[in-house]
Amino acid sequence: MAEKYVGKSIKRNEDRRLLTGNSTFIDDINLPGMLHVAIKRSDFAHAKINKIDVEKAKALPGVVAVYTAEDLGDYWRPGPLQVPPPSVIKGAIFNARPLECIAKHKIRFSGEPVAVVVAENRYIAEDALDLIDLDVEILPYVGDLEKTVAPDAPLIHEDLESNLAADVVQEVGSWEKAVAEADVVVKKRLLVNRVAGAALENRGIVVNWDSNLSLLTVWATTQGPIPMRNSIAKYLGLLENQVRLINPAIGGGFGPKIMSSQIDDVVIPWIAMKLKRPVKWIEDRRENFLATTSERDQLHYAEIALKKDGTILGVKDIFYHNTGAYNPYGMTVPLNTQAHTVSNYRVPNFLTEIKMVFTNQMVVTPVRGAGRPQGVFVMERLLDAAADELGMDKAEIRRINLLQPEDFPLRTGIIGQDFVEGVLDSGNYPYALEQTYEKIEYEKFKKEIQPKARAEGKYKGIGITMFTEGTAVGPYEGCKVLVGVTGKVSVVTAYSNQGQGHYTTFAQIAADNLGVKVTDVDVVTGDSGQWSWGVGAFASRGITLVGTAIHNASLKVREKALNLASKLLETPVDELEMEDGVVRVADMPEKFISLGDLAMRSNPTRGTVEPGMEPGLEAASYYGPPHGATGFGCLAMIVDVDPETGKIKIDRLVVTDDCGQPVNPMVVDGQLHGGLQMGIGEAFYENLVYDDYGQLVTASFMDYLFPQATDMPDKFEIIHSQTKSPLNPLGIKGVGEAGAIAPPACMMQAFEDALGLKDMFITESSINPSKLYHYVQKAKSA
Amino acid sequence: MTQKVKVAITVNGTLYEREVEPRLLLSDFIRHELGLKGTHVGCEHGLCGACTVLIDGHTARSCTLFTVMVDGSDIKTVESLGTMEEMHPIQEAFSEVHALQCGFCTPGFLMTTVEFLEGNPNPTAEEAREAIDGNFCRCTGYENIVEAVQLAAKKMAAH
Amino acid sequence: MKIEGTHVFNGPREDVWDMFYDPNVLASALPGAQKMEMVNEDEFKFDMNVRVGPVSGAFSGELQLENVVKPDSLTLKGGGKGAPGFLNGVGNIKFKEQEDGTTLMEYEGEVNIGGALASVGQRMIDSVAKSMIRTGFETLDKALVARLAAKESGSEVVDFKAPTEAQFAKEVAKDMVKMDNLSAETKLIIYIVPVIAVIILLAVILNSCGA
Repeated sequence: MAEKYVGKSIKRNEDRRLLTGNSTFIDDINLPGMLHVAIKRSDFAHAKINKIDVEKAKALPGVVAVYTAEDLGDYWRPGPLQVPPPSVIKGAIFNARPLECIAKHKIRFSGEPVAVVVAENRYIAEDALDLIDLDVEILPYVGDLEKTVAPDAPLIHEDLESNLAADVVQEVGSWEKAVAEADVVVKKRLLVNRVAGAALENRGIVVNWDSNLSLLTVWATTQGPIPMRNSIAKYLGLLENQVRLINPAIGGGFGPKIMSSQIDDVVIPWIAMKLKRPVKWIEDRRENFLATTSERDQLHYAEIALKKDGTILGVKDIFYHNTGAYNPYGMTVPLNTQAHTVSNYRVPNFLTEIKMVFTNQMVVTPVRGAGRPQGVFVMERLLDAAADELGMDKAEIRRINLLQPEDFPLRTGIIGQDFVEGVLDSGNYPYALEQTYEKIEYEKFKKEIQPKARAEGKYKGIGITMFTEGTAVGPYEGCKVLVGVTGKVSVVTAYSNQGQGHYTTFAQIAADNLGVKVTDVDVVTGDSGQWSWGVGAFASRGITLVGTAIHNASLKVREKALNLASKLLETPVDELEMEDGVVRVADMPEKFISLGDLAMRSNPTRGTVEPGMEPGLEAASYYGPPHGATGFGCLAMIVDVDPETGKIKIDRLVVTDDCGQPVNPMVVDGQLHGGLQMGIGEAFYENLVYDDYGQLVTASFMDYLFPQATDMPDKFEIIHSQTKSPLNPLGIKGVGEAGAIAPPACMMQAFEDALGLKDMFITESSINPSKLYHYVQKAKSA
Repeated sequence: MTQKVKVAITVNGTLYEREVEPRLLLSDFIRHELGLKGTHVGCEHGLCGACTVLIDGHTARSCTLFTVMVDGSDIKTVESLGTMEEMHPIQEAFSEVHALQCGFCTPGFLMTTVEFLEGNPNPTAEEAREAIDGNFCRCTGYENIVEAVQLAAKKMAAH
Repeated sequence: MKIEGTHVFNGPREDVWDMFYDPNVLASALPGAQKMEMVNEDEFKFDMNVRVGPVSGAFSGELQLENVVKPDSLTLKGGGKGAPGFLNGVGNIKFKEQEDGTTLMEYEGEVNIGGALASVGQRMIDSVAKSMIRTGFETLDKALVARLAAKESGSEVVDFKAPTEAQFAKEVAKDMVKMDNLSAETKLIIYIVPVIAVIILLAVILNSCGA
């Protein structure tokens, strides 16, 4: 019996290509006669457009065309929304204002596109940008989340009465009742900062229109190839199969690359069809900071009601969510916040309200974590504040309130981003807490290590926080699996890969079911010409949804192969085995037929077939879960704060993570490492900052601090927990975002613990050396 | 139209004589003029290190150099290390310990590692981590890359 | 950003005001100024080159003079835009005669900067700004001294040389090294001051063309 691949750490199929420079990324695509696009973006944050003068730009030698919204004529229209409004939630107010791909009458954020230059090469295109003159009437800027809904705030969408984009209230039980019964109510105003996805590769698109074939070929760095393909087809009046959208290798996604209906996928295909030449646009890093979506930026007024023994009675959270100048992505991010606030704990009463507001800033759409970190941050901070109030240990207050294994599956009463009530499918939260607690030697640290450090004038502290990660939401994904005539296996899906290891993990699942080597399974992702149905890479759903579809499809192929082999080998199916690339009689292995031969035989070129026959050893399958699968874990860190400089060092980091059945543990660890890097980045290094005039002042790596190798702890100590999901045959849950969710909450607790100041409570998810230094000075004088 | 300038640059052992605009970035020359796509551009302001190549044996950021500035030099890019059929020990090491995910930053790390190991063939984890500190990676959290550098050192010593 | 500051000129107020109204002096005190044009009595257009670290390019803009009370005070409103970005500002300037025969110039106002200047030039802006103001005032100081000397000796020719762009760039580099110890608030003020000074100088030049 051959070894199974699922559950094993094996080297990746895709590594060779990537390591030797043989992968094709978007900027590697060059077509004969290709033109280059540069986008003129507004410097002004809020303005009425009077005139866009492009004459000088058009006259520059090498410039082929310059387009503004006027040139697009009827083609120009806002939207559509990428995510529908939350009409399932009672009483939800949602003012849909989808993106305008290029500004026509008004500019609503600094960086909004106003004109497109097409030139023979990128250098000339960028030269031409300097020659475009934008004549505007500057309007007042509003960026503060509360001021933007004050009565006198300037209107960003003038057809609305205010800048309130949405209001959604969800309640479980009764908060009033909880307060009435409480011994203690703690209130906090908490801020979560704004960070960028900052993938190493910026966005890009290459479009080629072949008018003879009526075929538009689009290469795009999108995380959602099929929806983008459908959107382009609809915009241009083409059939779906007249647009072939192909993902090249993508250098990191992390969320922002899922956006569509932006200038690249709306206007550039139009240009390609008009000019009848291939057109390429590659974003540069400043553009990425200014005008690719980013996330977090919420202001929470949160309260927790408890009994004096620390038992939670209820939580209330009214929060302002910044959606930026438009809200094309619906309520996904703040709904995730609502769904991840009390998800680790037994909280009988929970009231949560989203006030989504427009500001003159870039649009907010998911970045790894996608609203979950905010919910976790709020809850973990409330617990820390409550623990301080009650004089309880931080680990203990969590321990006594955790959901227990017997509570699952648990209907949460909160509707999430998939528009159904969240159900926590399975989990063992106390196990995660205890594992982390033991591994980081919490008690030893508090009793021995910390006091000793203090005596030496060092400031070391510990933080321990819980988290959940809702993953693997619907609606669906699909795939087809084929055994080729060479005996190698093909797996084709329209899902999108940005480095998560799909070429290996998907292959592992198929290889197990078809008895072939994992290196003999070829995986194709993100090519709408090969597979036309799917949704996209978000919410850590790939391995669960596509993986389950592959599992089901490959089992169907297995059945077809065995049935055909049974006929050809004249042996009943239950006496056959499928291993090593062949089907053979179990106790007579010399009687076999190879998969390749079976594939040939399954597709006759002459003769007749039986009714209902399907040619080939091929099967397709779709999978959509009833609701998401929830991963979870416990993160702890020991930090050291340098009293002279406010610089920090993470002495130890321990995380217990549960993502159900891991398909490739090495890949799972890699996802955790990457997520932790981003979470640590958010807590101490990264910050997108707009000034009082709406200018983004952190638009390069000089000012936006990207976490580097020496900013990480020496080792990410990972403990694996495996509570299989009951929702799919393999028991898988997603893990892509897990690492990014808890670090800010954990680090703030650890900093407070390190400095031991009586009144120190960090109310922001991001801190820096100068702020810490200020706290250190207070600690020294205490 | 700006006057083009003649350059003669050796890349991965081959001498290329070309005429280029003075403002043509070295990264664009390598990638688009010579078609060597393994070197990637992440930021164009010299911070992320994805464009790292070796110029006369030393690492340099090709996105902040003009091609004309390196006239007469000997450049090595990731393509000089190994092929899909036969990878360099450093490349083997990266794959063995999952030190890459999307692969975009990877060529920069590889070239940095080449120079580093030449100067320090048996580094500690701390030394390896310091050596790669100037290259950004968003996917891996760096831990596996540090491990890969040390594993590569072992592999190269065994040769 | 709110800005304010002072500078002491070594000369009587009338001479300072007159010097300000000499277009040659002011144009040369402003490295990068290319062209100035009067639109009407209180309104001017200008072109200049701006370089803040990696961000550089041509700027064009307008200035309006308001509330002019010679030799006492005036208000300027101005703005410019170009490839590197844009800036808008309002400034109030007062000249006060001092007992020791010097003139105290006081200025306060508000400026906002946008575009690449703000998003990429951030860390350079302080140094360049400080240098511009320092060089600008030094130039004016020299011009004033030369003027007063010429006045005394009765000669016409004013022996004064403005710094070239190359010399100016050298000064900027020197200043960047010295900038590090200042607090954020000081840096903001220092940034705005030269910008406002530039605007002031331009306005005054242009006003003098009309006066």
